Amino acid sequence: MSQIMENPKGGCVLAGINSVLGAIDRACPILHSGPGCCMQTTAADQGQSGHKSSCFVSGVSLPSSNMLEKEVVFGGTDKLRTTIQGAIDIIDADAYFVLTGCTAGIIGDDIASVAEGYWEKGFPVYPIETPGFAGDSNLGYEVVWNTLIDQVIEKEVPKDERLVNIFGIVPYHDPFWSGTLEGIDRILSRLGLRVNTFFTKYQGIETIRKCSGAALNIIVNPWLFKGPAKKFEEKFGVPSIRIPGLFTGATDTSAFVRAVGKALDLEEKLVESVVESEEDYVYHYLGQAIGVVSWKRFAVVADANNAVGLTRYLANDYSFTPVLVIVSEPIFRPEDKERITGQIQNLEYAVPPKVLFLTDQYEINQAIREEEREITLLVGSSNEREIALEKDIQFILAAFPMNERLVFNRTYAGYRGSLTFTEDIYDNN
Amino acid sequence: MSEVRYSGVRESRPNRFNDLGTTGREAEEQFKKGCLKRADRSFAQGLQCQQINSMAALMSLEDSVFISHSPQGCVGCAIMAVDMYRVGQIHRGIKQVKNPRLLVTNIDQKSVVFGGEEKLRAAVKKAVERYHPKLAFIYASCASGIIGDDIDAIAADLQTEYPDTIMVPIHCEGFKSKICASGFDAAFLSINKYILKKQSVPKEKGLVNLFAPTTVSYADQREMERMLSLLGAKVNYIPFYSSLEKIKRIPAAEASTSICKVFADEFMKTLWEDYEIPYSHTVMPIGIRNTDKWYRGIAKVLGKEEEVEKIIAKEHERIEPLVAELKSRLQGIRVFICGGTGRSFAAAALIDDFGMKLVGLETPTYDADAQVDIEYLNEIHKDYVVDIANMQPFEQVNLVNKLKPDAFIGVPDWAAKLGIPTTHVLDGKRSTMGYDGLLYLGNKIADQLQNPGFNKKLAKHVKLPYRDSWYEEDAFKYIL
Repeated sequence: MSQIMENPKGGCVLAGINSVLGAIDRACPILHSGPGCCMQTTAADQGQSGHKSSCFVSGVSLPSSNMLEKEVVFGGTDKLRTTIQGAIDIIDADAYFVLTGCTAGIIGDDIASVAEGYWEKGFPVYPIETPGFAGDSNLGYEVVWNTLIDQVIEKEVPKDERLVNIFGIVPYHDPFWSGTLEGIDRILSRLGLRVNTFFTKYQGIETIRKCSGAALNIIVNPWLFKGPAKKFEEKFGVPSIRIPGLFTGATDTSAFVRAVGKALDLEEKLVESVVESEEDYVYHYLGQAIGVVSWKRFAVVADANNAVGLTRYLANDYSFTPVLVIVSEPIFRPEDKERITGQIQNLEYAVPPKVLFLTDQYEINQAIREEEREITLLVGSSNEREIALEKDIQFILAAFPMNERLVFNRTYAGYRGSLTFTEDIYDNN
Repeated sequence: MSEVRYSGVRESRPNRFNDLGTTGREAEEQFKKGCLKRADRSFAQGLQCQQINSMAALMSLEDSVFISHSPQGCVGCAIMAVDMYRVGQIHRGIKQVKNPRLLVTNIDQKSVVFGGEEKLRAAVKKAVERYHPKLAFIYASCASGIIGDDIDAIAADLQTEYPDTIMVPIHCEGFKSKICASGFDAAFLSINKYILKKQSVPKEKGLVNLFAPTTVSYADQREMERMLSLLGAKVNYIPFYSSLEKIKRIPAAEASTSICKVFADEFMKTLWEDYEIPYSHTVMPIGIRNTDKWYRGIAKVLGKEEEVEKIIAKEHERIEPLVAELKSRLQGIRVFICGGTGRSFAAAALIDDFGMKLVGLETPTYDADAQVDIEYLNEIHKDYVVDIANMQPFEQVNLVNKLKPDAFIGVPDWAAKLGIPTTHVLDGKRSTMGYDGLLYLGNKIADQLQNPGFNKKLAKHVKLPYRDSWYEEDAFKYIL
């Protein structure tokens, strides 16, 4: 069920799978695919996400069966076997994941039984049988977690009442993922919690194997991870809470801290003391630059998570005027659209903005072009720079794909991230 | 008997090899004797597919739409061309920077079962109605090829429906070739078939086709144009930042040349066969020797042999003092080079300008063209390893770790993690070519190699993913 798209944001499901695995320390994807899929899938997500890519293996470092005409006609499982064997022999990984390109998917190579052969010999080789054409990058995030739930995460892990798992921040599909996860980790650590971010702190396969011992799954995303969360609870008995948008700024971040406190029944005094000191930190700075950033009527074009967070911060905490919000990733379930719209429109004082769900660049540009109300600030991805230049409005590059910026640990999320966001909005012109 | 036309697949040419581990001397001898054989790697890392090249070659064309008949992932690498297009506009002084109009049909499970024709038609319709383009390029993919969508027939049909837009289907299915440069050929074959159509046009005096891929910076374009204008030539710079009008002028030219060895080399042969346009196919104009060679090549075709010698002498007067200074800083440094076909050999010639020694060379393809370069290199360098590979970083790090060169020229990602000083001759946003380019490039190389602190410190903290045992093995053990 995928749509024709102009200037699509992100790649196929293979790209999503590859990127998420790339963010797991010492995990090695092996592509059973055509000769270009390693580069293409890496470029589709990692390559458009602030120029940071997996340090372990990515792009042309990924083992690949490079299926050519011969494999298309006669099948590629022999080539896949020697590729897996070579990967095991030379790459020092903790786990190997065999990925399916369109070519392998269409001709129907049985990668599961090939992987099983290695599994029986004691090598940690896991098949992922979802071919590239099955969906987009976001689906890749869920496919990886479904695979981990089915094949990697252990049952019977002792419960740790202070351990939480963070889901919903998609590595590389959100350029600020590292900084965001580090920020969440910092805040939750202040509540005395131990945090599985899975993609920072060198947490790797071992952390994933034992993550069923967590007391709570925290999904920071308004729609992703519905299926895996249910499966996780059924198989491992870990309940989930959903934070319906990536919090930026004091108001929403404090709501997040309180939601976690409530779900884990943490001492209210502790929760409130963390909230108070974090909010003081933010306002201590905001108080030093009052009226410096001129008032804006803004539009946001971003994935749902950031569209919610950035809009709510600018409207609720910074008293800017929201005009138009475009959620630019494919979302199919009506209930998800409703939840996202609700988050964006249910504001404290501001008049609710128009919310559109558009993934096609032409349609996004047209919506901004035809917007009758004046827009003086556009928060978007590299793709929206063109329309910002055309309409001569201030533009902030804050969403995926992000090509004119190098991002290591920067984030706009959380208490401190909102200060960075506000710094970046400042324009002396 | 009708002549067999080139298919666009580079492997279809005889004596062309992609998987080989050898030395310079052995390669030269074995090739001469016809003893090289087609091999394969039983283990390999990812390659670059030809679709990437077909797209990159054309995505800066004006008044064009680009339709990828593929799943969404196949336009991932388009970002490189998109970025070069956007930055190229900024470099050319354009304020309202545009995105290329790239649509993906997004072949999905349903298309795999029922065919993707409907999606392709709908995508073309959208693109044409939105932009009224002069050109619509339709790219095949592995998926569209295997499910059997006939993009030629669909394009022909769409052509009658949209007579104002020229439909150009391109057969760049990834599985058809291991050599990504095939994608350039696929694009040019279609340009000839659907746009030029063997129609003759009046010749324009002094017009020269200068073929340039997407990785050539604006600074390099200007230097190439400057050099050609000194020979009295008018330059038709294509297809980068060009247009339908400029493509249509191709047959009007008196001569053709290319900036890259594997870009439009086959097309220039076709232009000779179909339009009798003579051409020069030499080397990439990087470094003194190669720039001279490239310059003399096109001058000869234009009958300007005497003029070019005068210009070269004058340019040398300007450049040589700098080169002498660089040579004093770089003499004797042992170098490992990795690059695409054009740049790897260009870099190998460049280091000779500076008196550096070649210890290893990694280049994607070995053929008669490579043999010419290897013969030249063998005269200068006694003993060096040759790895015929499209990247394959696992082989590269094995070799670099054994050879312990003083410097690495190429994509720096892996050698840097071994603590080896790195530099590169590829910079699509700055100057690298011709006589002017040498000033910038030479200083960059000397300065980067003199100051390797970053790589040395990095190597203490960041480890490559390979097992220690791999570095002890034969780098070519997987070539069978």
